[in-house]
Amino acid sequence: MAQWQEVQSLANAYLEQVHQLYAGAALPMVVRQCLAAWIENQNWRQAAEPLSSHARMLFHSLLALLGEHLGSPGLGGEDFMLKHNLRKACRDLQAEFEECPENFANLVANLLQEERRILRLGQAGTQGKATPAPSTPPESDREQQIQRRLAEFHVALQEAERAFRHLDDLQEAFDFCYKVHYLPGEDRTSDPQYAQQVQALEAKLQILDRQRWEVLAQIQQLLGRSETLRDFLLQELEAWRERQQHACLGAPVDTRLRPLETWFTELGQGLFQLLQLLRALGDLQRKVTYERDPLKAETPLLERRLQELLTYLLKSAFVVEQQPNMPNACKRPLVLRTASKFSARARLLVRLHDRNHRMEAKIHIDRDPPKIKGFRKFNILTSSSKTLLAGDNPQDGLVCDFQYLTLKEQKDSRSGKGSKGTGEGPLAVTEELHLITFTLAYAYCGLELELETSTLPFVIISNNNQLSSAWASILWFNMLSSNPKEQHFFSSPLPAPWPRLAEVLSWQFESVAERGLSKEHLLMLAEKLFGSKPSPESTVAWPKFSKDSASGFSFWAWLDGILGLLQEHLKQLWKDGLILGFVSRKQEKKLLKGKRTGTFLIRFSESILGGVTCTWVEHPETGPPAFRAVVPYTAAELASLALPDIIRDYQLLVEENIPENPLQFLYPNTARDEAFGPYYSQRQEGNLMEQKKYLNRRLIRVSSRQANESWQTEEELVAATENLEMLQLQPSGLGTQQPGGLAPLQPGGSGTMQVMAVSPGMLQPGGSGMLQPGPHGLEPSQQPQVGSGVSEMLQPGARDLEPQPVGPGGSGPLQPAARDAGMPQPVLGPVEPVLVPNGLETLPPELRDLELVPGSPDMQELLRSLAEGLEPGSGMLETLEAAELMPDVLEAVDRGLEGLGPRLESSAALLDPCDPFLPQPEDTALPTVTSLFTATDIPSLHIDANDFQ
Amino acid sequence: TGAIGLYNIGQSCCLNSLLQVFLMNIHFTGILRRITVPPRAVQKRKNVPYQMLLLLEEMQCSKQKAVSPVDLAHCLSVYKVKLFVQHDAAQLFLTLWNLIKRQMKNPELAGKLSDLYTICVQEQVACQKCLFETKRNSSMLTLPLPVLDANSHMLKTLEDCLQCFFHPEELTDQNMCFCEQCGRKTPFLQSMKLVHLPQTLTIHLKRFCFEKSAHIHKLSHYLPFPQDLDFNAILTENQCQADDNEKAAWQYELFAVVAHSGSTNCGHYCAYIRSLTECKWYCFNDSEVCQVSWDDVKCTYGHSNLHWGQTAYLLIYMKKHPQ
Repeated sequence: MAQWQEVQSLANAYLEQVHQLYAGAALPMVVRQCLAAWIENQNWRQAAEPLSSHARMLFHSLLALLGEHLGSPGLGGEDFMLKHNLRKACRDLQAEFEECPENFANLVANLLQEERRILRLGQAGTQGKATPAPSTPPESDREQQIQRRLAEFHVALQEAERAFRHLDDLQEAFDFCYKVHYLPGEDRTSDPQYAQQVQALEAKLQILDRQRWEVLAQIQQLLGRSETLRDFLLQELEAWRERQQHACLGAPVDTRLRPLETWFTELGQGLFQLLQLLRALGDLQRKVTYERDPLKAETPLLERRLQELLTYLLKSAFVVEQQPNMPNACKRPLVLRTASKFSARARLLVRLHDRNHRMEAKIHIDRDPPKIKGFRKFNILTSSSKTLLAGDNPQDGLVCDFQYLTLKEQKDSRSGKGSKGTGEGPLAVTEELHLITFTLAYAYCGLELELETSTLPFVIISNNNQLSSAWASILWFNMLSSNPKEQHFFSSPLPAPWPRLAEVLSWQFESVAERGLSKEHLLMLAEKLFGSKPSPESTVAWPKFSKDSASGFSFWAWLDGILGLLQEHLKQLWKDGLILGFVSRKQEKKLLKGKRTGTFLIRFSESILGGVTCTWVEHPETGPPAFRAVVPYTAAELASLALPDIIRDYQLLVEENIPENPLQFLYPNTARDEAFGPYYSQRQEGNLMEQKKYLNRRLIRVSSRQANESWQTEEELVAATENLEMLQLQPSGLGTQQPGGLAPLQPGGSGTMQVMAVSPGMLQPGGSGMLQPGPHGLEPSQQPQVGSGVSEMLQPGARDLEPQPVGPGGSGPLQPAARDAGMPQPVLGPVEPVLVPNGLETLPPELRDLELVPGSPDMQELLRSLAEGLEPGSGMLETLEAAELMPDVLEAVDRGLEGLGPRLESSAALLDPCDPFLPQPEDTALPTVTSLFTATDIPSLHIDANDFQ
Repeated sequence: TGAIGLYNIGQSCCLNSLLQVFLMNIHFTGILRRITVPPRAVQKRKNVPYQMLLLLEEMQCSKQKAVSPVDLAHCLSVYKVKLFVQHDAAQLFLTLWNLIKRQMKNPELAGKLSDLYTICVQEQVACQKCLFETKRNSSMLTLPLPVLDANSHMLKTLEDCLQCFFHPEELTDQNMCFCEQCGRKTPFLQSMKLVHLPQTLTIHLKRFCFEKSAHIHKLSHYLPFPQDLDFNAILTENQCQADDNEKAAWQYELFAVVAHSGSTNCGHYCAYIRSLTECKWYCFNDSEVCQVSWDDVKCTYGHSNLHWGQTAYLLIYMKKHPQ
């Protein structure tokens, strides 16, 4: 906007200053207003210099323009007053300045300068008041400074260009006079007129010389200011780099490049413009030069300084926008797998280029490989060069985008690795750091440069199981190394200061499950690492973090196991803060001690990888409070039953006692259902057609208390509905389990139902995750009867009681196919077939401890009566367990048996309403029924029940 | 504004920068204004203080953005300060100052000028064998600070440079001196103690080094200097020879920076000066003057990768509490 217009839009307080400015000025405001644009476009400052003919010319131009204005028809009668004022102004000006137009030029220059000062004040004032624009994020001070300086830079540049044009005019005028009047060949020393002309010529040269110095001084000034601006931009870029590095580690930071790109481009543009100006100055000097011509000495100097500045700016402006990253890498960039695709992108923040110049970008891997023994060498399989196309859309910027890259190890690259090992051994694969370097052949305005930039170091793995430790390396490097090209880093990795490590670990949780680690969490982790409270100076060594595995796994492996568990199964609970998570045993007791019986908390297991468990407190009538913890659940179990559902249905089987859920209140004091209600899965109902055939099942978790009350057992039973001729039960933790393998089911004979404990995951030989025997806090290491897993309870499908066999008719033993069909990798222990004849007396003791599950008193009473009333021989009901089978498992079984296709809607898992033995309490059955009606158009519960009665 | 530029009248950027530093210093102009005007025109033309005063008056009366120091330049050329020649700012400062002082006829004023700029130190050499000490008081106009330490490593801050400057030096081997008491050449310890600091303290950063060849090159590395400088925090008790009263006054703040850009044989000077009346920074590039911020001054810290940019060469600190 033109200056005068801006001045007029100032706030009143500042307008008052403008009025005062013009009140005493010899230039009436009416003239300023009338010729606003013209006045602003002239270089009054230069004209004001003594001996300048420029002032006279401007003065007369002004009078002429005013004359034109007065004579123009546009000014109608209504502007009579205006016309009058203008005419008067014209006369006054002429009278006052005719003899000394320089004074007039000086006056105008000062007025304009003063206007600009008021304008700055005014605009700063309004910005200060009216900035809070809600839509745009608040700019930092530094951002505002940069914007302001960029604007100032452009104004100064325009002034320099104006000064240059003036110089050009002066030079042309001088040149003309020189050619016309200066005649050195002839001897005209006697001619007084000639002497006069030569004198005038000398005066003109004086002016020219001064103008040359003037332009140079302006450019010096401009360069000085642009150096400050450059420093500002580089500081911002450095801050961005740091943010990007943190973002790679999962920190929630802003890594947008757009503001930087805009600033770099604006400054680059300005500097290139200045370069052109300097070159034009050089041209002027070639046309006219003289002794001690400042342009001759100073221009090359300025050009070198400017080129150095531009080169530095451009080199800094070439950045890796996107670090190497495999798709689907779960927010873990910088870990690449051989033969897998990855992408990386570099950007030149100065969005200027020569359209006629072909800009070629190349990538190189490990251009300067470190001299590390056995350092693997890789080739980039896909094309490693690319022509940078200037997108039609200038908004796209100058981007070198390399997608679908793959790496392949050079065959002989590892020769010597491990062999003839003298001195330092080679680095582990996951500690080997590699770099990709981008290069770009840049040319613009005659400046040709080879730009280059490197990615952050990355780790190349060949197998997914290296991912976790590779990521640990990436964390460690980016947390500690100040040199992004330090490929030797892991030859002697620095220890991590605890506060720094704590922050980075917290980011891991934040990026996986949107909630970082609290102070208490970090304290627990620190105590785990240091054995005591950390001091701010505490450091963790790299081997301690990633390698030491006294407990079978390193600290990082343990933490990463938990991250994996969170990611897969517990995201929401963690995010909502329901998982206390990192609580030491000691702390756990301290927390729970004062709480009422049934208060529990959820924490991560410290003894098994990726395990979560609940600990609750009981206050016996005598003695100290007891703390019980259930064997940790791992991803395998949680895949079949979500943690909130486990908590909801968890049962503790106590001898001669009603099974009960000991988990009543979430620490500190929230009723279980209140805390977890929103997370319970709907008890899904299924196809009634199927239900005619089967009783419904529900999977729950139970623990049984051994007769000796030593809290050693947790059993997880799978119960399936079938005839009860045979019942096989196996406590799962018998130590014979083979991690990772699927033990074949032993044939149970036809018509045999097997109840087996499914114990997914690996049980540590140490019997980890067991219930603790009391307050000693020691985990018993040999407790063969302890197991963990899913308990699938048998539905009372007793043939003798039922007119109709319920369940998969004539089903044989569970087939491994059942697992194939969808069991989430449970490890089936070798089933010890415990044949359960019809007589109750043969029931294994473990089974006697089993109690029926659904919490309804009816059911329990029924079952108790059954258990009590059973006579030898009457053998109808050995174990009647009604449970909602875990849908997946049930389905798997079903599918395995019947070859049903896996379909979600068929995963019926609710208390079978058809079963007369099952309770139909309001709270469970009724909603089921209603939902049944709505969900499917199938006969009501009522009808089903009739079928059985 | 009170800041007026000076036209470059032919490689006069160095002179211009120094003149601005002199004339923006109100303590200096306070003395300058009291000089006696030489009676005759010829004397007037040849009198440096008088020509400076004229220039000062011209600058203060000027409505122009800059004035030309041409008369002063001619006056100086009488004393072999040539125009159209690249000067070294530190050298030219000494030359100018000495000319001004010498031509101040009033001894009281000359004394005041000395007081305003003179640093007093005590040089000591001590024989390491017999511990015989020789002390000598001397005064200087600038503290010529090295920017490299004894092992040619770059010093990191101005404070480091000061510490290095006042660090005692052992004179051994071929540097041994003759001890009168021992009657032979012995190793000596040479040290310097600070006795007095003036109101206007000029620090000269020796940003150049002589390599093996005769070629001098500029050291442009990063060397930050503070706005506030407290000598008591920098020097140890041993490095001072002053009473508490004197030491209490060793609190300085930065007043001006004379910065150089380019290489040793061709370059440009400009001056960053903090107006003592307005407390605002200005940058003087010959005829161009603009108000700047501390960030712009910080730009003269230097940069190891940029050899043509501006780097601080002279630092002028001003006592915070004039005595």
